[in-house]
Amino acid sequence: MILIVSAVTFALLGFAGGDALTQLRDNPQISEATIARLRSVYGLDQPLPIRYFRWLSAAVTGDLGESMYFRVPVSSLVWTRSVSTFLLGAAAFAIALAFAVPLSLIGTRYKSTTIDAFIDLLILLTASMPRIVLALVALAVSVRLSASAMDRSSAILFWLAALTLSAPLISVFLAQLHGELQRTMREDFIKLARAKGLSESAVILRHAVRPALNPVLTIAGLSLGGVLGGSVIVESVLGRQGLGTLMVSAVRARDLPLVMGIVLFTSTAVWLGNALGEMLQAINDKRIRDLSF
Amino acid sequence: MNEQSTRDGFSRRRTDRVAVIGWLVIAVFALSAVFADSLAPYDHRAQSRLEPATPATTIHFSGLTPIIYARRVEDPLRRTYSEDTSVAYPVGFFVRGYSYKLLGIVETDLHLFGVRSTSGVAPRINLLGTDQLGRDRFSRLLYAVRFSLVVAFIGVLVACLVGFLVGGVSGYAGRFVDTFLMGVTDAMLALPTLILILGVRAAFPLELPMTRAALLLLLIFALTGWAEMARLTRGLVLSLRKREFVVAAIALGVSQTRVLFRHILPNILPSLRTRAFLLLPTFLLAEVALSYLGVGLQEPEPSLGNMLTAASDLDQLRSQPFSVLSPAFAVLLFTLGVRLIGRSDRV
Repeated sequence: MILIVSAVTFALLGFAGGDALTQLRDNPQISEATIARLRSVYGLDQPLPIRYFRWLSAAVTGDLGESMYFRVPVSSLVWTRSVSTFLLGAAAFAIALAFAVPLSLIGTRYKSTTIDAFIDLLILLTASMPRIVLALVALAVSVRLSASAMDRSSAILFWLAALTLSAPLISVFLAQLHGELQRTMREDFIKLARAKGLSESAVILRHAVRPALNPVLTIAGLSLGGVLGGSVIVESVLGRQGLGTLMVSAVRARDLPLVMGIVLFTSTAVWLGNALGEMLQAINDKRIRDLSF
Repeated sequence: MNEQSTRDGFSRRRTDRVAVIGWLVIAVFALSAVFADSLAPYDHRAQSRLEPATPATTIHFSGLTPIIYARRVEDPLRRTYSEDTSVAYPVGFFVRGYSYKLLGIVETDLHLFGVRSTSGVAPRINLLGTDQLGRDRFSRLLYAVRFSLVVAFIGVLVACLVGFLVGGVSGYAGRFVDTFLMGVTDAMLALPTLILILGVRAAFPLELPMTRAALLLLLIFALTGWAEMARLTRGLVLSLRKREFVVAAIALGVSQTRVLFRHILPNILPSLRTRAFLLLPTFLLAEVALSYLGVGLQEPEPSLGNMLTAASDLDQLRSQPFSVLSPAFAVLLFTLGVRLIGRSDRV
């Protein structure tokens, strides 16, 4: 899968035919000969399949080349910048879970229409609140709160950014978990647990939660891609240095090695996220474990 | 995402009423896109050096007629303005302004509303204030909505066509073709879309004129948006392939293309339409994101995204947050409208 993605991106970048060196043409002090020499230094004079093969064989050994714009190896650049993005993403996941789990549990326990309606509204609102709108509103709020633009506390900004990033997650997690809990509660084994004389809370916590958690784990693994994509917006709006802003500057500088490096890195991360989701599911559910191991 | 389970709390009647609100919102957006020139009081490119970054014009009433006053710069550095209440200018409907072509056909200079000049040059009415170059933000917003909606709409059509073809072939041909096409589709679906879009964007020159930028956005949407439609189409085609009327058509010797387009397509169209409709805000947001990051539509043409870059002027954001963020609220309203309709199945 990662192979396909990298090949497609590489082909697109190659066919469009522009690179960081194209802009040098505008400078009259740089002659065609210099550009041609630079091209051969970076290997840009080679045909596309050869360039892809070279890039791929280097990438397998962990060498993603050197960024043309930042003049440092791509891999170290991506690693250092991704730390802050992953912190932000982890905080977003934590916030989303902190909303979804208690709310859906309370909604299931008390079966009240007001709580259900509230959950419904929260899902609708968080689902249709685009991250860019939320990020801008967060920026406006943070600007309003502080007297000058300088003394904006970074901790507040971090949590605002995480909250912005988590909004779509809240909707997805809450919808999944709440829906799944409702469905599980109609199962026969729940009736059996009730017949044993367990209290309603014990029935939910001991018998309903685990089977209801399965689809949520899948969704959580799948939503990592959305979080990484959303971080581009959130980081740019709120001015945080991370993987997202790195991607934007790479695109603006048309820094092909860096763009490829980030695409490769994020697709690997997404793939790992999916695998992690499935693994957690296997730990949670013995039926899946017996099938796959 | 999970409409079935979330809809339980709403009764059918309530859902219908909610959907009507959604349709109204979409209708307002569609109308303002079509009649942007008539609704906008000023040319979206016209700069006014005397009034950069003004707050929204205050509308006063003298009796029943709405009036506005001319504004004077009080402090050019801090951009504060005061009203000159000596002359009142009435605000009226169907005022003459710059000329344009209504619906691209009729040449006219009538605008829905504007300021009538009683003596000399009338001051400008800026419902949402002006940007740093003194351009009327309300007019720009209308043109931005037009551009964003047209691009998103055509983008959805193109993406649907590609998705339908891939999904149809995949579901119909089966076996090896199916495995390969769905492998690619799954790879596309798993990727962070925005990163992918930016990656594709990096392949093209940074600065583009309006039509080229629009075409590029369409290409990007088609390249990145087809996967979801393909997945849906494949599932639907698979479920219909063994049905009697399809088998009958094949037995009668109808060609495969004809079976796909004449027998299968009409049956799966409603489901495809619902999903396509939900793609609209996705593409709208992608356009907003790209233009906001400075790699979509570029100045001086307005788009919802590049208008939002004004938010980086923190002083203006602090003093007039609602005017500066008005494009964001437009996006929010549109997304909400589509979601409300999406909740009821009858799209």
